[in-house]
Amino acid sequence: MRPLRIALAQGTLLADTRVALAAAGFATDALADGGRRLVVPGADVEYVLARPSDVPTHVAHGAADVGIVGKDVLLESDAEVLELVDLKYGRCRFVVAAPTDFIDRSLDEYRHLGSLEVATKYPRVAERHFQGRGIQVEIIKLSGSVELAPQVGLADWIVDLVSTGRTLKENGLAIIEEIAVCTARLIANRVSYARDRERIAALASKLEAWAAR
Amino acid sequence: MKGALPRGFRDILPTEARELQAIERTLMSAFAQYGYVPLEPPTVEFAESAVTVDERRTLRFLDRDGRLLALRPDVTTAVARVVAQRYRQADATLRLAYFAPIFREEASMRGSEREYDQAGVELIGDPTLRADAEVIALLADALARCGLLAADIDIGHVGFVDGFIAELPADARDAAGAAARSGDLVGTVSLARAAGMRAVRIAALERGLRHRSTDLAALRADAPAASQRALDTLDTLRPLLEAAGVGGAIRFDLGFIPALPYYTGVVFQVTVPDLGFPIATGGRYDGLLARFGADRAATGFGIAVPHLHQALVTAGWQAPAGSPLLVLAPDDGDDAATLSVAAALRAAGIAVAIGDVAESAGQDVRRARVIDEAHLEYEGVVRALDAVIAVLTAGEPR
Repeated sequence: MRPLRIALAQGTLLADTRVALAAAGFATDALADGGRRLVVPGADVEYVLARPSDVPTHVAHGAADVGIVGKDVLLESDAEVLELVDLKYGRCRFVVAAPTDFIDRSLDEYRHLGSLEVATKYPRVAERHFQGRGIQVEIIKLSGSVELAPQVGLADWIVDLVSTGRTLKENGLAIIEEIAVCTARLIANRVSYARDRERIAALASKLEAWAAR
Repeated sequence: MKGALPRGFRDILPTEARELQAIERTLMSAFAQYGYVPLEPPTVEFAESAVTVDERRTLRFLDRDGRLLALRPDVTTAVARVVAQRYRQADATLRLAYFAPIFREEASMRGSEREYDQAGVELIGDPTLRADAEVIALLADALARCGLLAADIDIGHVGFVDGFIAELPADARDAAGAAARSGDLVGTVSLARAAGMRAVRIAALERGLRHRSTDLAALRADAPAASQRALDTLDTLRPLLEAAGVGGAIRFDLGFIPALPYYTGVVFQVTVPDLGFPIATGGRYDGLLARFGADRAATGFGIAVPHLHQALVTAGWQAPAGSPLLVLAPDDGDDAATLSVAAALRAAGIAVAIGDVAESAGQDVRRARVIDEAHLEYEGVVRALDAVIAVLTAGEPR
């Protein structure tokens, strides 16, 4: 039987992911920091290291059977994958934030102009949120440093991912609304979950038990 | 952009086209053997008719009348419309089959095609489990005739998870159902928990979502009555499938919940190893035809032909070579002799091309040279035309 292929998000989640997988009984030494291999072969499992936003794509196409990635990435992706376990780590929040001093002013402007400009790295999440709220916004897609946008007049509000909220505060922004709380998730390809149910359900149970510790 | 194609559309070159034709013939003859007659729907529908597919997944455009049209996103919609319009009075059972390209909008850069062939059947007007067993057995049979081995059939029932969701307060039901259909099993369970579902029920729901086996007994404990009835249905279905000869390939999988919301009963999908997408999906959709004004029971399936083709090719399958193609080198200067020899060969049932073929598309190509009206050089020997015909048609079914 071929090894189960697991796509892992590189970056901030990886350290906790190693702990979770080790607790579930898998060898994770080869995932140690500084490793440069992107495919880490093994007897039972094979790891694929990918950018977080690519993990759902790998799994949706069956290039990996399962994956571990943040719910934030899943919300922004529309990949068709199964979400099996909430792993509880990597907690962060999608929030709407506005300049502390100008919340009233931007609401005035909204009443006047009927639309607000929102800068974000996560256009799908932002669009869905404001559509659900019935608020008309123009989304401005940025690739980084979204906190900058209100300060330089590029946007009224931002939608961003925060863990502590310190960066927002330092840039004079306050949270107006929380969109979603995101944690790491075990995801699976639909066909792999069907055909390889024993191995994947066993992995899911172990990780779930670890997450509930 | 000279010579470019819109993304997601492609040319199917002769070798693949022949393979797809072989698949089409095999599938349609299998469908015919179960009494299914072909239906050829139009390529274009009114956009508002395409209710089975998310509107963002349909390819839409305006015509000159200002009507919003859609390229058909599936054939089920057309079947529902035809049944509601043309067979409105018929209480009898209708069996319809199709093999047709369908069109789905896809986000760019996803490596997805926007046009591909879908083959399938719809069985209208039969609410019995025998009908569910019939279409599942037909699907298994049709795929086996194509040469697809090692396929698993996962069978679920949307009533199992729906039974749990129906117990939730009204405002939580939609979100929990949508989460289940989108594959967000974490969300389904956490919404149920947040809406006050008891811990034993939650545990029973989670067991159901994880369970895949030939046995259902383990799922009964603590499940709601409606979910128990879904399990009863599957327990009754199993011996029917065994009698129909597909007992070995089936697994019960209550975590399999199709993305489309119109399924009402038994659902199924066919998977093969090492292909990340199902080959075929289907199930009972008793509510759909009512949306077109004909409240009729219905079940059926759709086969994603590119996935079937990919699975077959991966397994080393080749289209049957068929009868050979004879390429005739012309008799220099006497085109009349060449044409008359070609006509005689074709009259005997032999495929003939004159001159040369640059694309044989995997056919068995033989070569011959025309000497005169009655003689050919074939396999290095000059022979009478009749002798060549005898050699080429030997062993051919008459």
